[in-house]
Amino acid sequence: MALTKKEVEKIAELARLGLAEKEKEKFAEDLSSVIGYIQKLSEVNVEKVEPMAGGTSLESVMRKDDETKCLSDSQMRGQILNASPNREDDYFKVPSIFE
Amino acid sequence: MNLNELTIKEAHKLLEGKEITSVELAKAHFDEIKRRDKDIHAFLSLNEEEALEAAKKVDERISRGEPIEMLAGIPAAIKDIILIKGIKVTAASKILENYIAPYDATVIKKLKEEEAVFIGKTNMDEFAMGSSTENSAFGPTRNPVDLERVPGGSSGGSAAAVKAGFSVYALGSDTGGSIRQPAGFCGVVGFKPTYGAVSRHGLIAMASSLDQIGSIARNVDDAAAVFEIIRGVDELDSTSVDLDWQDYWNSPLDIEEIKIGIPREYFIHGLNPEIEKNIKSVISKLEKEGAKIEEISLPYSEWALATYYIIMPAEVSANLARFDGIKYGFSTINKEEKLQNLFDVYLKSRGEGFGAEVRRRIMLGTYILSAGYYDAYYTRAQKVRRLIKQDFDRAFKEVDVILTPTSPTTAFKFGEKTQDPLSMYLADVYTVSVNLAGVPGISIPVKEADGLPVGLQLIGKNFDDVKLLKIAKIIETIIK
Repeated sequence: MALTKKEVEKIAELARLGLAEKEKEKFAEDLSSVIGYIQKLSEVNVEKVEPMAGGTSLESVMRKDDETKCLSDSQMRGQILNASPNREDDYFKVPSIFE
Repeated sequence: MNLNELTIKEAHKLLEGKEITSVELAKAHFDEIKRRDKDIHAFLSLNEEEALEAAKKVDERISRGEPIEMLAGIPAAIKDIILIKGIKVTAASKILENYIAPYDATVIKKLKEEEAVFIGKTNMDEFAMGSSTENSAFGPTRNPVDLERVPGGSSGGSAAAVKAGFSVYALGSDTGGSIRQPAGFCGVVGFKPTYGAVSRHGLIAMASSLDQIGSIARNVDDAAAVFEIIRGVDELDSTSVDLDWQDYWNSPLDIEEIKIGIPREYFIHGLNPEIEKNIKSVISKLEKEGAKIEEISLPYSEWALATYYIIMPAEVSANLARFDGIKYGFSTINKEEKLQNLFDVYLKSRGEGFGAEVRRRIMLGTYILSAGYYDAYYTRAQKVRRLIKQDFDRAFKEVDVILTPTSPTTAFKFGEKTQDPLSMYLADVYTVSVNLAGVPGISIPVKEADGLPVGLQLIGKNFDDVKLLKIAKIIETIIK
């Protein structure tokens, strides 16, 4: 199955990834080859098989929602906020969303 | 005595006996790094000042006559995808080039309690996506055995560091073979524990249902020693499991008690004949020594790689959505004079921050999870994943461990597989099933093929990690 350049553009937009014009053809080719390969699974009869959702058989692991464990560590809190490329006081600053 | 070839146990004894100091040991490793890492590039950053300080503390304790922990004062290299508080953690990506870890991963916390000495952070494929370290944004690592060849990946820097004598042991992470395959390519031991045995808190996530932290070491005993420290339940990782672990050291297994399964699906076309010969000669040796060898079948193996290349990118696309150019990491938000809208910040920060393979996998995952394809790909892959798991469940009713080659080839040359992603993916054909099933796997070096290291993979039953290590130790001893 071959993806077109247009389909690659659409997927990249959904994934919020900027692509350079000249990369698009190569990505279309690479993705088509991998998607071609994974079609292989259509050979398997999966009737009545339950999907395996994760790597563990544990169920509903609960713990107390205890905020004192992490964000009250003021040093860590400061470091996390400092990592933001654009902040004002304790807020992340984002460009306006509504026109 | 060469301080750069010691095992953990040997180094521990020398420290306890005051024959060497921890500072001497650390310095010997930094000297070797300065001498040879220009060529190998196993490290992305070094931690010399803090390492020597930590070593000094251990020396003071020893001189006061205090007993020390097994890993105390011993150099460790940490894959640059595991967080050490206050130290840069890049995941070998431009998007995290200047990111400082705000906390310790649980495994690091545990190693700090042991007073381990962190030498530095090791190179890898960007976000652990790759099998050669060629996808690192900061340049590849070279295989210490042959500098023209890749060290494998994604934990290539960790494997190279142990092989080259830059560190006594290293931590890596394994999502589809990223500890075992580079260990095989470099001729060292690489151990991926059962999913849930070791906390993943503080490991930068790639594919959360497959990722697991493990060790790269010079022998099986060392891998076991590290495992004993890093394993255990952690409330910060809800998939970690609380267990009473069997003792590794004091109750060795007898070879005549062991039943080893040889899956016929792992010895088919595509396997280098030299590797096949070496693995088969180990099998006959084991049989001669009294182990029971049984041919088994894991019939769904043929579909493991395709299943992996659906589940893994799906999880990748979700996990890596957090890199948005807003909260942390590389961002174009301040780069342009003209006011950008939010959408452009996302596109440009992620487009420029992520390398080609990472973007390829995010797009693949996005496609797989998109409306109209979800059931055809993702749900179907989850079902085949269960069939693969059932293959292993069935096999472990008959045998104690499964023995296979770690990889179909030895270390390949740079550039050999970078043009065709699918050919690179095939490097993991023998290792991905282990992650899909969640079972533990270890690679140990056997006889070389054409002068290059060969890895033998042993696969164990879920949470039978200690038994797996004991059997690996028996094989290691027999082939020496």
